[in-house]
Amino acid sequence: MRRHTLPDAAFAALAAGRPDAATVDELTRAQLGRHLLMLRAIVRAAPEQTHDGYAALAAADPAAVRAVVADPIVGLWAASCLAALTRGEDPEHAGIERLARLAAAAGAHGLAEQADHRRLRASRDGLTIDVRLEDSDPVRARFGLTPADRLTDGDVVCWQEHLDKAWDLLVGRHREAAAVLAAVLRVIVPVKPDPGVRGISATSADAYGAVAISAPATATELAVGLLHEAQHSVLNAVRYLFELHAGPDTLGYSPWRDDPRPPSGVLHGAYAYLAVTRFWRTEARAGGGAVAAFEFARWRAAVASAAEGLLASDGLTAAGRRFVGGLRDEVRPWLSEPVPPDVERLATAANAEHRARWRLRNLAVDPSAVRTLADAWRAGRPRPVGDPPTRVVPAPGRALASSDRVRLAHQLLAGGAGDEEPVPGGDTPQRWTGLALVSPQPALRETPEIVAAVYRALGDPTVDPEELAAWLSS
Amino acid sequence: MDGVLPAGDAQPEWRSDMIDVSGMSLSELDPFARTLDDSPLAHALRRVAEDVTRSREPIAGFNSAL
Repeated sequence: MRRHTLPDAAFAALAAGRPDAATVDELTRAQLGRHLLMLRAIVRAAPEQTHDGYAALAAADPAAVRAVVADPIVGLWAASCLAALTRGEDPEHAGIERLARLAAAAGAHGLAEQADHRRLRASRDGLTIDVRLEDSDPVRARFGLTPADRLTDGDVVCWQEHLDKAWDLLVGRHREAAAVLAAVLRVIVPVKPDPGVRGISATSADAYGAVAISAPATATELAVGLLHEAQHSVLNAVRYLFELHAGPDTLGYSPWRDDPRPPSGVLHGAYAYLAVTRFWRTEARAGGGAVAAFEFARWRAAVASAAEGLLASDGLTAAGRRFVGGLRDEVRPWLSEPVPPDVERLATAANAEHRARWRLRNLAVDPSAVRTLADAWRAGRPRPVGDPPTRVVPAPGRALASSDRVRLAHQLLAGGAGDEEPVPGGDTPQRWTGLALVSPQPALRETPEIVAAVYRALGDPTVDPEELAAWLSS
Repeated sequence: MDGVLPAGDAQPEWRSDMIDVSGMSLSELDPFARTLDDSPLAHALRRVAEDVTRSREPIAGFNSAL
C-alpha cells in the first residue's frame, strides 16, 4: 500500500506557499483518507448503531460516497463523534445518527442534501471557485466562532457579490493563489463578527477545505481572509502527513496575536501570513497605494522574524526544518524590496508596538529580582548585573492582535488626519507601549516589562521612567 | 517516520508514515476485518484516533478588517 509522498522540490514549493496542483491533490486525497479512517473507527466503536448505515454507504455509488465523505463538515462531525465515542459517551449523544444521513446523501448522489444548501460560484478567465455556504448544520459551531443566523436570500446575494469581486481581484492579479484556493476551498461557514475586531475567520484541522468567516465589508477583505484561511487548511493537511515539530510546546511570541502561542501556532501564523504578505506585495506593485505597501512591509518583517525564530529553536523535525526553511527563503528576499520610507517607519513602529504590548501583557518579571533592582535604585547604587528572569504568564483568553496604532496608520496612509486619543499618563500598558516606541533607552525598547515592574515596585510617581530606563540600560 | 531518501538519490522525496487509503472502498476498509498491529493500516487508524482525542483548538482567527 503506497504511502503519501511528496518530491522534495514539491515540498519546498509547498513550504513557500506555492504548491502545484499535484501537491494539493495529494493533500486532498490524504484528507479524504482521514475521513474514511474515522468512519471505520466510528463503526468499530459503535457497531450496533452503525452497521446498517455503513452497509448502505458501502453499497452506494463509490464516486458519490467519496464526494459525500470528503466534505469538510463530515470531517468535523466524524472527529467530534469519534472523540466522544473514545471518551465512552453514549453513541446517540456522540451524534452517531449522522452516518445514516451520509448513506442517504450518497444514495441520492448528494442531490437531496445539495438542494438544501446555498452555493457560491464565481468564474473568470477559465478559473472557477465553487463553494457551499453552510449556515444550518449544528456541527459548524465547532469552529469556535458563533455561527451566523440562517442566511436570508438577500444575505446570499451579498456574499455572491463579494465573492464575484474578490474572485475578479484574485484571478486578475493573484492567479496562482486563486488556483490553490479553488482547489482547496469547499465550504464557507458564515459567522458573527467578533466584538473586539471587525472581521474574523477560522479553520479547523478536522475540516480541511472549510473556512468560518464573518461577512466581509469589502471584496479585498474577503480575498485576503480566504487566502489566509486556506493556508491554515493546507498546513493542517501537511501536518497530518509530516510531523514538523516534536519539541516542547513552549509558549512564546507571535506577531499576530496578543496572547502567547506554542511553536505550532507560530508556524500556522507564519504560513498564513506568508500568503497575506504575498497578496499585499502584489497589490503594492500594482499601484495599491500606501496601505498596501504598509501591509506588505509590516507582515514581511513579522513572517521573516517568526520563521527565523522557529529555525533557531529546538524542536523542528527534519521535515519541519525543510518546511520552515522554505518559508523563510520565500520571504527573505522581500525584506530588501523598497517601500516608501514613511511607510517603512510606520510598519516598523506597528511591529515594535505589538512586541512591546505583548511583552507587557504576557511576561511576568521575577518579583525578588524586581525588589533587588528597586532597592539598588533607591540606594543610588549601580544597576546589578544581569536581567531579571521573566516567564510567560498569559492573560486569560485568546487574543487577536488589535492595535489602535495600526488603525491610526491606516487612517494616515489613506489620507486621513487620524483620530488618535491622547496617550493617558500613569501606569498603563498604553503609556509603557508608547514610551517603548519613542525611548532611546534599550531597556524600554527591548524589555519594557522590566522597566514597568521596577517602576511599580518603587511606588513613587515622581520617578521619571526615562531616567529609570537609562539606569536599567547601563 | 517521514524522511528523505538517502543522499545521492536522483529525486529525493518526503515520505509520510501515513498510507493512502483514499482509493479504498468502504468494503475494503471493513471495520470488522482484523488488522495486524504493525500493519500500515493499523498505524494509520491509531494515528487518526490519537489525533481526534488530542485537544486541538480551531485555528482562529484572522482580523481581515482594514
